[in-house]
Amino acid sequence: MQAIRMSRKPVRPPGALSEKDFLSKCIRCGKCLQVCPYKSIQMAGFFDGIRVMGSPVIRPRETPCYLCMKCPPVCPSGALDRTVKDKKKVRMGTADINKKECLAWQDTLCRSCYQSCPIFDQAITMDENLRPVVDEEKCVGCGICENVCPVDPPAIVVRAGGDNR
Amino acid sequence: MLMGTLYSFAVGPVWITDPLSGLQVIISALAADRILLLSMVIPIVFALVFGRVFCGWICPQNTISELFDSLAARIMPKRLLNPSPSSKIRYMIMGLLLIVTPLLGFPVANLISAPGIISVQAANYIYVGSVGIELGLIGVIVLSEIFLVRRLWCNYVCPQGAFLGLFRIGKTMKVVYKEDEEHVCGQCFECAKACQFGLNPMGGKIYPLCHNCGDCITACERMNQGEKPLAFRF
Repeated sequence: MQAIRMSRKPVRPPGALSEKDFLSKCIRCGKCLQVCPYKSIQMAGFFDGIRVMGSPVIRPRETPCYLCMKCPPVCPSGALDRTVKDKKKVRMGTADINKKECLAWQDTLCRSCYQSCPIFDQAITMDENLRPVVDEEKCVGCGICENVCPVDPPAIVVRAGGDNR
Repeated sequence: MLMGTLYSFAVGPVWITDPLSGLQVIISALAADRILLLSMVIPIVFALVFGRVFCGWICPQNTISELFDSLAARIMPKRLLNPSPSSKIRYMIMGLLLIVTPLLGFPVANLISAPGIISVQAANYIYVGSVGIELGLIGVIVLSEIFLVRRLWCNYVCPQGAFLGLFRIGKTMKVVYKEDEEHVCGQCFECAKACQFGLNPMGGKIYPLCHNCGDCITACERMNQGEKPLAFRF
C-alpha cells in the first residue's frame, strides 16, 4: 500500500504542464504509469491529499526518470504536453545541491551526480575545485543525480516545478 | 495493443475516454484539447445509439453488484431501506460534483468513479504489484448494497451512469413492452422480479434508470411461448 506522505511538491512526469493546469487536466487514467518502462511513474496515494491522489508522480530517490519520453504522447487530456519530444526541453524541476551535506563541497572527492547526469557536462558541471554546480537553465529535473547520490538523505535533491520551454 | 483504464484507454490507434472525465477537464481547465474531444466521440455515440450499455454490459462495478445481489437475496432479501427508484438523487450528486470540480480545480467526480477505481487499482496491481486504499470504496459499496439499499450505487449515486443517461434521444435503444395479438403477455411479472433496480418494464417510465442489461427480456423469454412482448427496440 502506498502510504508515503509527500513532504514536498510532487515531481511530475516529463511534459507536465504547470501544477495548477496539470491537476485540472489530469484525469488520473494511469496510461503514463503503464507506458513507463522503468516504473518511475507512480500513483500518488490517498495520504498525499485528495487533490493529488491518483495523479502520477516520480520519486527520484526510488526510481528517477530516465527521459525515454514515452509518456507525453499517451496522455489523453494533454496534462502532459504531447508535443514535448526533446528531453532537453523537459522541465520537471531543478536539482538543488545542499553544500553542507555534499561530499565534494565538503572537500571529499565525489563525482556521482556529475557523471550520471544525462545532460552530461551541461546541467551539472565541475568547477575548478572539482565541486558540482547545477545550471538551472539546463537541468531538466529527472532526478538521476538524486538517485545516485551516495549521501543519505541525498545532498542533491530535485525541487519540483517549472514550466516547459 | 490495449492500454489504459476505464477513464481512458487505447485499442491500437483508437483512443476512448470516459465522457464524464473529459467534461470535468473542460470545465476545470476551461480548455478542450482536440484529441481529448475526439476520444470522447465513440463512447458518446455508443450511448446515443445503445443507451447505457456501458453500465449494463461493461462496467465492472455492475458485474460485482449483480453477483452480490444474488448472494444478498439469500442473506437479507429485504434490505434495511427500500426506497423507490429515483434518478433525482443521482443527478443531484452529479450536479454537485460538477459544480465543485471547477472550484477545486481537479476532476472531483473521478474520486468516486467505481469503474475507474476498479480498473486503476487492477492496473496498479498488474504494473506495480500493490493496490491503494481507494479500493476500499468498492468494499463499502458492496456491503451497503447487501445490507442497506439494493443496487445503491447504480441507482442512487454513480455520476458516470447519470451522465451517460443524458445521451438519450428518440431512437436510442430501449426496452419496449408491446402487447397485442402477436405478443401475448402472461402477466407473470417475472420481468419486474428480474430487474435488480426494482423497475417494472410493463408500465411506467423506466429511463434514465434502466441501463439496458436485458435481464427482464431474458426472464420473459424463459416464461412465455411465441413472440415476447418485451424486446430491445430503437
